[in-house]
Amino acid sequence: MGQDVFEITVNCIKLVLIFLMMVQAVPILVWVERRGSAFIQNRFGPNRVGPLGLLQLLADAVKFLTKEDFAPDKAIRPLFYAAPIFALIPATLAFAAIPMSVPLEIGGYVFKIQGYDMNVGIVFILGVSSLAAYTILMAGWGSASKFSLLGALRASAQVISYELALGLSIVGIILLFGTFNLTEMINAQQGTLSFKAFGHTVTSAYIPNWGIFYQPLAAIIFFAATFAESNRLPFDLAEGEAEIVAGFHTEYGGFKMLMFFIGEYGHMMLGSALMIIFFFGGYGIPWVTVEDVRQWAAGLSESATTISVITTLVHFLSFMIKFVFFLWVFIWVRWTLPRFRYDQLMDLGWKTMLPWALGNTILTALVIYLIS
Amino acid sequence: MQNNFFTDISLNHYLVLSSILFVIGMAGVLLRRNVIVILMCVELMLNAVNISFIAFSKYTQNVDGQIMVFFVMTIAAAEAAVGLALAVTIFKRFKEVNIKFFEHLRG
Amino acid sequence: MTPDVFLFWFLALLIIGSGLAVLLFTNPIYSALSLAMTMVGVAAIFITLHAYFIAGVQLIVYAGAVMVLFVMVLMLFDIKAEIQAFSSGKISGAIKLISVGLLSGLIVGGIIMGQKSFVGELSKDAVQVAEAQKVKKSTSPDAATKELGMVLFSKHIFGFEALGVLLTVIAVGTVALARSRGGTHHAK
Repeated sequence: MGQDVFEITVNCIKLVLIFLMMVQAVPILVWVERRGSAFIQNRFGPNRVGPLGLLQLLADAVKFLTKEDFAPDKAIRPLFYAAPIFALIPATLAFAAIPMSVPLEIGGYVFKIQGYDMNVGIVFILGVSSLAAYTILMAGWGSASKFSLLGALRASAQVISYELALGLSIVGIILLFGTFNLTEMINAQQGTLSFKAFGHTVTSAYIPNWGIFYQPLAAIIFFAATFAESNRLPFDLAEGEAEIVAGFHTEYGGFKMLMFFIGEYGHMMLGSALMIIFFFGGYGIPWVTVEDVRQWAAGLSESATTISVITTLVHFLSFMIKFVFFLWVFIWVRWTLPRFRYDQLMDLGWKTMLPWALGNTILTALVIYLIS
Repeated sequence: MQNNFFTDISLNHYLVLSSILFVIGMAGVLLRRNVIVILMCVELMLNAVNISFIAFSKYTQNVDGQIMVFFVMTIAAAEAAVGLALAVTIFKRFKEVNIKFFEHLRG
Repeated sequence: MTPDVFLFWFLALLIIGSGLAVLLFTNPIYSALSLAMTMVGVAAIFITLHAYFIAGVQLIVYAGAVMVLFVMVLMLFDIKAEIQAFSSGKISGAIKLISVGLLSGLIVGGIIMGQKSFVGELSKDAVQVAEAQKVKKSTSPDAATKELGMVLFSKHIFGFEALGVLLTVIAVGTVALARSRGGTHHAK
């Protein structure tokens, strides 16, 4: 955490800020979703409350907070009340391990722009995000209703099936970069394309050194598996309205349902951030390394603190642009594609994605062995 | 030695923790009557053993302990899957998972 | 009290508490959820023992998949009320508890006595001496994971491959079990 009180305090405040950032991004995302979906479906969407409907979410929040706090008669109280709280935990823990920018150097201190830096970052993130299945199960069982239970069982089976494809598709990237640490992966994706093959170094000045050019198949599989992990369309069998009312959150109303959605959007943000880090260079700017940006900033001012602050801010902006783009892709896909049937979904996860991810891993390992 | 029992964590602390967890699991296997809960207590025993392996691995600077844990974890997960499949088959046939009903060897 | 010490005691109490909860809850779903909490606690203990990769694997495999499987199967069974949660018979129950307590006493006694007769190899001071004498292996987590991978794939390669074959066999067997339509005894 740090050696002296100042550093510890700043790190604690940083943890709280990252959590709040994740939670506060949810209203903005919901607004984007509602206006964006309306745009795709050629209608207006909320546009009465506030300019462009921006205050709609505030009105919704007030409505949710003032609703009655009820529980079904036969519900199992501890599980019913614990499930929405538990929905926040995996997404928050995993999101705090994501590096969002270059570490900030002020005075003698180095502050990393992430909650905590784990050296086995990706294994930890996968492990913690796999705890999301418990939320679904607790909510489904605690509601003591048939629709909830069915939705919960289907959703949790889907989640644990696609965890496999998720983990396996990343193995190719881990083999390529040789590390579990997310910051090192980002540092390995700087500048323009260059890799060593048979002793020569192959470079190209037109293509940035991103993971997606090395592992396109893994990128596709990973992105599809992230949709399944966060229960978004086209994999949202568990919440399909026409089929099982609302799945595992049927019996929840008011603020408890909002917490489920914060959890779902949290997983969406996590998937988006991981996609950027593995395949799109993280917080780096394409074709440009961190050193180049630092030198450019050194041209603007002399004090080391200001240089560091400018570099960090520039990279944070780059991260945010990519992040927002991928969140928009999540929303875009939701309102474009129809939903999978349950057996199609399971077939896709086990019979299609898993073999392709395994094949990708074997191919990557072979290629790396042969060319070096 | 008594005055730093609480502040110096040595290998013995981890071994005692592992043994307490193992014994709790064993008591569960002996005392509980639901097949699934018995399987869960077996998993508890395996976790206790994992803790002791990793503790030894750290305190003797030998990485073989972690590899053993790797193997134990894999086998335990696979065995849990088989156990659950068996439990599902039993439930389909007898509509009961309480071992009180399976005390006699005849069908 | 340093953070490491506090963390160990907190996690030890958490693990033992949830372990007892697995034993004592009559509702099997609460037992399963307590076991999931125990698994997470064990993963945290692995992190305090600097086994970062194994902690991550414990979270992914045990807490994230095996326990979810347990909870799902329990929910499918839909046991309304536990007919008899604990084995009946006070005498046999007492004998079981006594034997279990005896076992735990023997183990703990063996550990405590072993630290005197092991010529100080495993006690704390000896570990410090050994560490100072050995070539200082880098204890960064990256190097530890790399070393784990190297030893796994060089010295224990046979076990690794055998594990793969075993897992295939188990997967096929489980699917065959779940799809079987009875054997010698048919449903009445």
